[in-house]
Amino acid sequence: MLVNTYSKNIFNIAYQFTGSYQEAEDMTQDIFLKLYNSLSKYDFQKNFNAWILTLAKNYLIDQYRKTKWEKKSRDDYKDHLLTSDEFMSPEDELVKEENKKIIWEGLNKLPSDIRMTIILRDIQGKKYDEIAEIMSLPVGTIKSRINRGRLQLAKILNDKKEKRHEL
Amino acid sequence: MNCEKIQELLSPYIEDELSEERKQEVEKHLQGCASCRMLLVSLKEAREAMGAFPQLEVSERLMSQLYALPHRKKRFKFSFDFLLRPSLQPILAAATIILTLISFYFFNPNKAQIDKSINRQIHLGYSEIERLYAKAETLATNIGEYKNNILVSLLNLNPFGETEE
Repeated sequence: MLVNTYSKNIFNIAYQFTGSYQEAEDMTQDIFLKLYNSLSKYDFQKNFNAWILTLAKNYLIDQYRKTKWEKKSRDDYKDHLLTSDEFMSPEDELVKEENKKIIWEGLNKLPSDIRMTIILRDIQGKKYDEIAEIMSLPVGTIKSRINRGRLQLAKILNDKKEKRHEL
Repeated sequence: MNCEKIQELLSPYIEDELSEERKQEVEKHLQGCASCRMLLVSLKEAREAMGAFPQLEVSERLMSQLYALPHRKKRFKFSFDFLLRPSLQPILAAATIILTLISFYFFNPNKAQIDKSINRQIHLGYSEIERLYAKAETLATNIGEYKNNILVSLLNLNPFGETEE
């Protein structure tokens, strides 16, 4: 039941956060193991979905701080994230895929807590109050982190575009 | 407002979270600033790119491993991961220094001389302690004598002016 409901969400967050498919699979297993061991500590007053994602977020950020994945590169974007839109012209599609590749690699340059906040908001599409509950922070702090993260990614994209024009 | 201030407002601007007044300030700035306009375009593209990341399906292999988890008994698993904790780093650094000093001592070709010098230091320490001990004894004897003198003086005092018969 838990596996059916939450495995996809947790695995995807882990993959987007770590950038490594293999690492994300291992982390998902570890998170579920931790989840089974912590179920007795669940406070029924709290939102169960947010509680599980908080547990996953804490585990991912803790592991990141211990092992410093930022030294490793992320999986090649083409490995798992390439999509195609039949209603788009090949040129537009090429630009969009290029942007996605730059942003995918750019995620590695964000500090762990900002990266997690951006993933929850812009990739997972969660609401600000949900993210605030998961991250255990006020909504104002969440908005300012998202702001900083997006600006950093936009600047990375801008730089790449300028280089592309120079060529 | 300068570019830096405007850039901070771009994210709430695209999410339509600014007051009408602020929104107009941003738009006015954007009309005259090409670099902020470009950044706004990139910001929108970055958001769009992230929104288009596909949500991957969990592999069958991982699913079966996840289903098997509750049946897996908690086993005692020893791992050296704890050694990587940042909080342990000062302790590990201190331990390294101590081990290096110890190895210097044990593998030094002049070990006999080091031993002799350590012995000498220990003996010097001992004799210093003995000297202090002797001083303390002298002090205790002196205090005893002073005490007796004071007692004798007090006994010889004649507070009521009585005459000796």
